[in-house]
Amino acid sequence: MNARPQRTHKSGPRPPSLGSNLWTLLALLVLLGLSAGSALLRLGPFNTVANLGIAVIKALLVLTIFMRLKTDNALLRIVASVGFAWLAVMIALGLADVLTRTPLLPPW
Amino acid sequence: MNARTHPVPEQFDDPVQQREAATLGMWAFLATEILFFGVLFAGYTLCRVRFPEAFAEASRHTDMLLGTIETAVLLTSSCAVALSVREVQLGGRRLATALLGVTALLGISFLVMHGFEYYAEYQEGLIPSIHYTQQGVYAHGMAIFYCLYYFITGFHSIHVTIGVVLMGVMGWRTWHGAFDQDYHTPLELTALYWHLVDIVWIFVYPVIYLVGRAG
Repeated sequence: MNARPQRTHKSGPRPPSLGSNLWTLLALLVLLGLSAGSALLRLGPFNTVANLGIAVIKALLVLTIFMRLKTDNALLRIVASVGFAWLAVMIALGLADVLTRTPLLPPW
Repeated sequence: MNARTHPVPEQFDDPVQQREAATLGMWAFLATEILFFGVLFAGYTLCRVRFPEAFAEASRHTDMLLGTIETAVLLTSSCAVALSVREVQLGGRRLATALLGVTALLGISFLVMHGFEYYAEYQEGLIPSIHYTQQGVYAHGMAIFYCLYYFITGFHSIHVTIGVVLMGVMGWRTWHGAFDQDYHTPLELTALYWHLVDIVWIFVYPVIYLVGRAG
């Protein structure tokens, strides 16, 4: 006996179109080129900012299009975000320790 | 089991709820994978703050061209497996199997290229406590970089190897008609795993290969 009527639509969100998959791949490869190119330019600390920024954009593209978080259940977006949020907490607290250490001279 | 005869276990109301439970479970597992690699990235971050010059020097010893090609290979393989799931959802079988085969082959080529990298690093004396010949002020910091490098890329390669095996299994099952428009959850979850392995590499690439290249 079913408490609810059976849902009959095809399981899973509608697949992204062929075009959106291929455009995503193209965007990822262009971003890879940008990442490699910018690393060769002398930008000081902005080398790291650019490289990590591009990596975040690439990861978001994979998460939203290839992994379908854009169209799938909102609960999955929360679980995925939580994974990265805990990681951010771990790195932030770790860095908070290392970056704020000051050498204390012994008082004698 | 044929997709058309796949029964919905009694704990689920319908196939939609079954799929939701399965994907949620997979994402919970992927969140633990994020933290598994996250510990290594956190360690990397702290050590890089402590030894910035040594990390830049060590990164210049890695093979940027191979690293870039490996990244492109993994990104392409991610697209291939996404297209394979799409094909199954649209009712295809041959192309879906072929795309899974392409994914597995790209994964294998990634592993082979990484093997060449490890061999070159062995010859250069860049493997701490096995064959490490670096000298100078940065030698200690570089050893820490290379320890992290082998742990991160080693565990990543293990994940790629598992992914290649899973792609083979999924390809075999897809070919034998185990999945169709109505039932393809195992294939979908395997694709999610592969994409996550790809995302890990997206972050490995800049932190391992691109540090201090402009100097």
